[in-house]
Order: sequence, then C-alpha cells, then structure tokens
Amino acid sequence: MTDVPVPKPPRAHPGYGRLTPLWFLLPAVVALFAIGIYPTLFALVTSLRQYNIARVRDGFPFVGLANYATVLTDPTFWQTLGRTGAFFCVALPFEIAFGLGIALLLHRPGLDFLRALTRVSLVIPLATTYAVVGLLGRLIFNRDFGVANSLIGLFGFPAFDWLGDVNGAFAAICIMDVWQWTPFCALIFLSGLSMVPVEIEEAAQLETGSRWALLTHVQLPYLLPGFTAMLILRSADVLKLFDVVFTMTRGGPGAATELISIYIQRVGFRVFDLGVASAQALLLLVITIVLARVYIRFFYREIE
Amino acid sequence: MRLLRHAAGAVALALATAALGPAPAKAEAWDIAKAAAPYKGTELHVIFLDRPGYRAIIKLLPEFEKQTGIKVSYEIVPYENTREKEVLNFNGQGDLSIALVDLVWIGEFAENGWIQPVSKFSGDASITDPNLNLKGFFPLLLDAFGTWGGTTYGLPFDNYSGLLFYNKCMLKSAGFDKPPATWDEVMTTYAPKLTDPAKKQYGYALQSLRGETQSADSFMRMLWPFGGSLLDKTFHSNLMSKESQAGLDFRQKLMKYMPPGIVSWDHAESVNALAQGQVAMITEWSAFYPTLTDPKTSKLGDCLGVAPEPAGPAGRLPALGGFSLAVASQAPEKVQKAAWIFIQWATSDAIAKPYVEAGGVSGRTAVYDDPAIRAHYSFVEPMVASWQKGVPEFRPRFPSWPAISEIVAEFGSKIMLGEVSVEQGSKEIGTRMEAVLQKDGYYDGKKKLLQ
Repeated sequence: MTDVPVPKPPRAHPGYGRLTPLWFLLPAVVALFAIGIYPTLFALVTSLRQYNIARVRDGFPFVGLANYATVLTDPTFWQTLGRTGAFFCVALPFEIAFGLGIALLLHRPGLDFLRALTRVSLVIPLATTYAVVGLLGRLIFNRDFGVANSLIGLFGFPAFDWLGDVNGAFAAICIMDVWQWTPFCALIFLSGLSMVPVEIEEAAQLETGSRWALLTHVQLPYLLPGFTAMLILRSADVLKLFDVVFTMTRGGPGAATELISIYIQRVGFRVFDLGVASAQALLLLVITIVLARVYIRFFYREIE
Repeated sequence: MRLLRHAAGAVALALATAALGPAPAKAEAWDIAKAAAPYKGTELHVIFLDRPGYRAIIKLLPEFEKQTGIKVSYEIVPYENTREKEVLNFNGQGDLSIALVDLVWIGEFAENGWIQPVSKFSGDASITDPNLNLKGFFPLLLDAFGTWGGTTYGLPFDNYSGLLFYNKCMLKSAGFDKPPATWDEVMTTYAPKLTDPAKKQYGYALQSLRGETQSADSFMRMLWPFGGSLLDKTFHSNLMSKESQAGLDFRQKLMKYMPPGIVSWDHAESVNALAQGQVAMITEWSAFYPTLTDPKTSKLGDCLGVAPEPAGPAGRLPALGGFSLAVASQAPEKVQKAAWIFIQWATSDAIAKPYVEAGGVSGRTAVYDDPAIRAHYSFVEPMVASWQKGVPEFRPRFPSWPAISEIVAEFGSKIMLGEVSVEQGSKEIGTRMEAVLQKDGYYDGKKKLLQ
C-alpha cells in the first residue's frame, strides 16, 4: 500500500498576510510624509520663530504668534489677498463658461476624428510650463509687436500698452490664466457629461427639445461633483499662482498684479523673513481648507 | 557733509589697505603656476551672470586653468535670483567657494561672516601676487564694491557706471551737435525736440520695471543729482527734503518724453529701444556698450554716442553699480587659498587688457591709460570720468537694503503710475523704511550707522 500524498489545501491568497496592506500603503505614506506633512510641520515651527536666514547672527528665537500678528496687521497682505480674490472671481467664470461650452460641443455625436484631435489639443495649454506661459504672455501683450494689439487693431482700436497699464496688466494675466485653464474645466465637464446614462439623456431629448432644460435638469447633477473638485483645485491653484505672473509682470506695474503668492515670495526670498512668510503660507492653507469645505457644503451633490 | 563722508571713506580705505599685512615685494614677476601648485586639481565653484563681463572671463578661463591646474566651475544665473541662490547656499553650507558680491550685498555678506577679509590671505606671500596693488583699482570701486566698515573683502570684478547713451544721428537731425550736459537741458531743450509720439519716437527712456530696476536705476538715479538722498545722517528718511522731492518731481515731469508703459520696461527694453532708433537717449550701465555696438543687436552703428550722465543742481552723481569677487568663508582652507589665487588673477592688472578686449570692464586704472583702449572703446572716457567722483552709498549697502528696495520699488512704481502723488509715495516709503531700520536695530544703537 502506498501512501497517497494529501495535497495541502490551497491558500486563499498566496503571499497575503496581516502586514500586506501595510506594505502597499507604506510608500504612499512615506512619500506623503516627506513631501507634505514634514514640510508643513517645519513651516508651522518656523512660523513661530524669528527666522530670517539673512540675519543668522540674530539667531532664530521663539516669538510665539508674533509673526501671525505681523501678517494679520499688514495692509499689503490683505491688499494682495483681495487682489487674488478679484483675479479668481474674474478668471474662473470665463474658464467655467468656455469650458462648459467646449465640453458640450465635444459631447455631441459625430466628427469623431476632430473630437479626438480636440481632446488631445486641450492638454497642450495644461502641459505648458507656467514660466513659459508667462513668457508667451509677455510676447502676446507686447505693445509694439504683440498679437493682442494686432487683434484689437483689426477692429480699429489703437495699440494699447497692456503690461504698462494697471488695468491692462491685470486683464492680461487673467486672459493667460483663462487660456491655460479653460481646457482643464472642459475636460472635467466632459468627464461629467460622459457619466450621464445614454438612455436617460435620450429619454430627456424625446421629452424636450430645449438644450437648456436638458443641461439643467439632466446633465447638471452629473457635472456638480467635477465642478466642486474644479473649484477646490482652482482656488488652491490661484492662491499659489506665481510663475506666470512673475515672468509676465513681476507683480507690476506698481502693485497691479501682485497676487498673494508673489508677495509671499518677496517676503520669503527677497527679505528672507521665513518666519513671516511661513505664517502667511499657513494662513493661506487655512483659507484653502475653509473654501474647500464651503464648496463641498454648497455645491457637492451625490448623484442618485 | 558729503565731502566729509568721502574723506572719511577715503581714510577708512587707506587704513584698510594699510592693514592688509606686509606688502609683498613689488613688481616681481609672479609665478602663478608655482603659487598654485599645492592647489592643483582643486575645483572652485562660483555664480556668474549672463552679462558681457562674465562672458569675457569665461573666454579667458582656459588660460588660468592651464597655468594653475585649478578648475573653475561656474553656474550662470539670472541677476534676480543670484542673491537668493547665494544666501541659501551659504546657509546650507553649500559648494560655493567664491561669492559674487553686488555692491548692495556687501554689508549683508560681510556682517553675516559669509565672506573672508582680503587681509586673511594678502599677508601670505606664497599665494599673493606681488603686484596685487590694491591702489591700482579705482578707489571709488574698491570702496563701494569690496569694502565694508573699513575692511576690504572683495576685489572689483564686473564694474559699471551709469552713462548717457544717445543716438547722435537723431540728435543731429533735431539740431544738436553734442549731448545734454545737465538734466535741465534734457527736460527743457533736448527731449521736447526729440519726442514725436505720432512717429513712436521718444526723447528719453528710463527703465523703471518694479524690482531693483525701479529702486536703483529709476528712483535713486533722480535723487542724488538733485541733492537728495534716501537717508539723512541719522538714518531717517530724507525723501521729504526739498532736494529729494525736486528730483522725484523731475522724474515725474520727464515721463511725458518717455515711451508709454515705461514702468514695465527693464534694461533689455530700454537698450533695445535705443538700438532700434525708437528712443534718442537712455541712461544705462556701461556694461551695455557691447550690446549697443554689436550689429546683430543694434542698428545704431556710427550713430551711437556715449557721454557721462547729465548733471543736476548738485553736480554729476551718476548711478554706480558692480560686483566684486570675495572668498567664501564656508569653503575649506585649501579651497579658500585657491579661490584667492583666482580672484587676484581675474581682477589683476595683467589680465585687465585682455579682459576689456573680451568685453569686460576692468576696475583697474592703468588699463584705461592705454591710448589704444581709449581710442577703441568710446565708453571708456565718460566711464573713467564718472568714477573719479561718485557716491559709494548711491544705494545703501547695508543688510536692510533688500527689504527697503522692495518698498521703494512698490511705491516708486505707484508714483510713476500716478496711483499716489510724489509726496504721498515718499511719505509711505519713509514710514515703511524707518520701520525696517527700527526692526534692524539702527535707532537703538545696536548697529553702527554704516551704509
């Protein structure tokens, strides 16, 4: 009689143990800690110290909330924050309107090749380096040979000194932001539209010929989650918008385009007062978080 | 008072020069290869700018490296980022072995101990050129660019004076056979005849982009010739003085002869406007001479004229700017000595002529005595004239300047744009500037009133 080997029962998940999820999570957690949490904690500690690296002989003593008091009583901080808010309020509605328009056009059936080509083209402004967008802006809005003046010249308007005029410079940075970020909005809206069940959309089209009714009653609920994400991302992005404006105008003329991030850079890397600059940055972080909660509270809706 | 300050500066400089230790024997031929032999293979790290003076020394570098075996690694950085890079490097104990010191950084770099005094090395005959001859530099340059608190730290390397560059042909067409000698002439005689907005032609351009261009090139340029200044002798604002206000008012009135949008013009725009015949006169750094004579970048050709900056009621006090090279304290001792050998070579009398011929502007006096150099470079004569008399503190050189420069740049631009009046803007700059100086300890006796 020979022994018949009894096969071992197969393990439900070979190689899977109690610690397995930990190993999967660990790289992400380490990366998050290294590039997110540690710098934030360091900024928090720095914001509580007198920390000017161009005055190393003065040391880095603990000063409590003095840096926060300096920021909150600094009129330039509030002015630049207000200007950043104005920039957001001017640029974002255009981005949303144009983005939605493009998304609705791309959502229509037919012309598949052109639609695919357009989708790919939309990525180009997004993939362009911020500093390059700023340099393009300098060329586009150049008084003597810029495209902007050529275009307004077609309608009989005289050449305008965009970057040398307070309002012109502000308009110019808004236009460049709209150029760069409208495709982002379009892609987000397009992904929302693609989630609308075809049968519901077709049923609605049979019910009404009104595109507006279709948009507001059928498509809009699917667009709101993306819209909320867009608001959060654009708010955070505008609060830290630096490269485009710096290369285009350096915050000028005067202070016409000095957004909050430009001001923080001046405090942090011209004056090297990293204590105050860290306090400013952390206050911006708080503002971003509050705005995100507000957007979610008022705009986000689960699709039922 | 200014004479007294100059006299005090000269005495301090003389003392500093005397304190450099035993002067090595004079006029001996220096065997740089022998001096550098112990440091062969050493690598030096330095930041350079994308300007003619740096391109010139880069052309000559292979000769130095061949003679000494010392390797010089340079990184070319835009001016606006240079101080940021250097300060971060010094704080992080980075790799820089030589500091490129703008005249307005000398106080900050010296007070933080980031650069070494020249006297640390100049007494060591084994690494010091017997022909070092500090008196061979223009005293104004050595004082302004390399000396702080009576101690010399850096040797003048990339040297500028503000000059009046003008289009001789445009002036001739308007009936002028010589450039304006005073700012008053610019305003009342020259600029009105040379300005014709319908033809997009303007009499004068003053680069005024927010940043150091606004604070140094535009704002400060109009203070000194009119007898004004940023600070009084107690380090309080002097901007409300009659003279300072006159200078700033003058700038405001002169704007009607400048191209629109001048507040967004940097050096490149001003130089280009003159080079392309859109503007008849600019006041710019001498370093832009090669750009204005190069047919690839300028249409001017023989129409280019160069003169000293116009004089104001207080005389001719042109803009002063430039960079010195100093040994970085963070470098190891051996590297510091190699750096000292390089700095001496790059600023030496021996290299001055090839340096000028390669497009640089030497701070040595002797090279400009050469008739061939004077004949070939029309900027030399007005520049040398400008360096005979000047204000080392044209821009204060203390550590507080970067913070003050930001304030001046913001409100200087706002004044030009008409967002605030000259008086309001001056008051605002004064108040904010004094707050910075108060914080930095200049009013409670913690810090000497050095600028």
